[in-house]
Amino acid sequence: MVLGTYKQITLARSTDKQIQKISQDGGIATGLLCFALDEKLIDGAVVAGPSDEMWKPEPTVAMSSDDILAAAGTKYTISPNLWMVKEAVRQYGLEKAGIVTIPCQTMGLRKMQSYPIGVRFVADKIALDIGIFCTENFPFESLKTFISAKAGVDFGLVEKMDIGKGKFWVHTADDVISFPIKETHGYEQNGCKVCLDLVSELSDVSTGSIGAPDDWSAVMTRTDAGETIFSKAVDAGLIETKAMDEGKFGLEMLTKLATSKKEKAMKVIDERKAMGLPVPFKASNEKEGDPLANV
Amino acid sequence: MSERVVISPTSRQEGHAELVMEVDDEGIVTKGRYFSITPVRGLEKIVTGKAPETAPVITQRICGVCPIPHTLASVEAMDDSLDIEIPKAARQLRELVLCAHHINSHAIHQFLIAADVVPEDLMVTAINSVSEIRKNVQYVVDMVGGEGIHPSDVRIGGMAKNISETARKRLYGRLKALKPKLDAHVDLIIGLVADKGFPEGLGVHNQKTLATDVLYGDRTKFDLDRFTEILPESWYDDPEIAKRACSTVPLYDGRNVEVGPRARMVEFQGFKEKGVVAQHVARALEMKSALSKAIDILAELDTSAPVMADYDIRGTNKLGVGAIEGPRGMDIHMAQVNNGKTQFYSCLVPTTWNIPTMGPATEGFHHEFGPHVIRAYDPCLSCATHMIVVDDEDRRVIKNEMIRI
Repeated sequence: MVLGTYKQITLARSTDKQIQKISQDGGIATGLLCFALDEKLIDGAVVAGPSDEMWKPEPTVAMSSDDILAAAGTKYTISPNLWMVKEAVRQYGLEKAGIVTIPCQTMGLRKMQSYPIGVRFVADKIALDIGIFCTENFPFESLKTFISAKAGVDFGLVEKMDIGKGKFWVHTADDVISFPIKETHGYEQNGCKVCLDLVSELSDVSTGSIGAPDDWSAVMTRTDAGETIFSKAVDAGLIETKAMDEGKFGLEMLTKLATSKKEKAMKVIDERKAMGLPVPFKASNEKEGDPLANV
Repeated sequence: MSERVVISPTSRQEGHAELVMEVDDEGIVTKGRYFSITPVRGLEKIVTGKAPETAPVITQRICGVCPIPHTLASVEAMDDSLDIEIPKAARQLRELVLCAHHINSHAIHQFLIAADVVPEDLMVTAINSVSEIRKNVQYVVDMVGGEGIHPSDVRIGGMAKNISETARKRLYGRLKALKPKLDAHVDLIIGLVADKGFPEGLGVHNQKTLATDVLYGDRTKFDLDRFTEILPESWYDDPEIAKRACSTVPLYDGRNVEVGPRARMVEFQGFKEKGVVAQHVARALEMKSALSKAIDILAELDTSAPVMADYDIRGTNKLGVGAIEGPRGMDIHMAQVNNGKTQFYSCLVPTTWNIPTMGPATEGFHHEFGPHVIRAYDPCLSCATHMIVVDDEDRRVIKNEMIRI
């Protein structure tokens, strides 16, 4: 299954006007975390918060809805959130922590929980993991380079970045510039080339814009914890849902992109394996069953 | 006709040691000798010539039973050598982590003596009680020290980080809730030790006690001039034992002393009792003092205050002394820093002080009580080991000087 195991898949968006204004798409990650915090389902969350430098996120422990709102919106460069987990549990004293992760971090998080070497009594305190869809991620310098070179925009003027409809969009105060996403190839992190996961298959809830119309997000609930929190937020009226389009611009597109990410990565994995390079995944001839499984 | 009873290694303690008792016809100990046979690891030498920050990281690995006192003694020694005045909040956090560790370590010891004093039908209760207490206080060590076993956040110049307000409140709540449980636990242990019916006067000796503080440690109370250290050859009257003993004999005012919970209570709280029962009682009572101090600190800790001082790492070759009252007694680390490197490092650790006192304390009673006397000191041998150079073949001492490795 290219989308991993999930309980339900739906379109959703936050009903909160403030969240709608600042969030990337449907504001699901922001909305769910704020809801979970207010309802005391979690007592804090590790998020990609703002740093001293524009567009460079920094792992932050959010202890209030305000902290979470300050971290809203997608940043297209890495924020090593797992690095902050220990501090969140130790110095901040979180016992039911939330966290936002991209697929590679989701895998790391689950590994921490399965083999808690060096993180004894730490990883088991993560109560909610919101996984974000991710096609690839850029080192900060890459991002700066192609925005100033390809979009021709001063990095300091950028107000929002977005990927959609096959293009990379850069919004400034009075302009919207786009260039084909293909042109960013080569700038992504090396690890992204072997990543088999687009949809955070191991998270509690995963969300992203792929397969959703503007200002909506696709949401997949995957675990009991994720399902509970999501349905509670829907019942409380903080999140509205509508059925996912099965067709070309909905589920079909999500499946297609997830499959093509896996196929591309499998090719690179097989190549690297054939050269004897270390890759943390199985080559296609080593896999039993699904040749595209995230193992 | 005197006979020898040898227990080697003595059990239910940390590290390896040997108890050699000479007994008369009735089995009464006439001469007791206790000495460390734990091999040397060389930690004092490892840190010499390295950056000062190395010392706390390496010396905390002296022992997994009490890494906290070693870390604290090490950073205190470095603070002293580098003339650092640490911020108030850092001092509070250090005291807090040590208080929690005292309770944890004493609880471990009560688990170790459970087989001696706890009857079968209460064993599960006693062990559950120990586990419950340890779980709660180790949580404090985890949060404040950064790690439960080898605390990473205790640093030269203070602490790496202050805890958050949420963490403070959470710890405060946890420890408050622990109070009734701990009180019940202390009553249980004291009651069980009394019920065991150790003979009157077991383990009583007339040596002085030595302690620097009620719980934390105070370098000004340790007078280096009154301290001497002699080789086992001049202490043990049996040349064979003297050769095999792995630790030096530290003396204060030229005499051997007792350190530990009973010593602290005698020095600072007017405690008068002596012997095995008194040591167990003092240890149990000290858990209460440590918990109430920890709660006090958490009540007044300012979580927004700075916890790290500015300092110059280069040093002036001043001999720094760090004195920490560990669960088993006074732990002294000494360090000299010059040109940004540790020039000299030495540890005077709790059980080393107790070793010369423990053997004679077994005298006058049946040898079967020997292990009880030893365990009452809660010896921890791995830190109490220094070394001499011996010939590999006949174990002859080649260099008759204690080489600090």
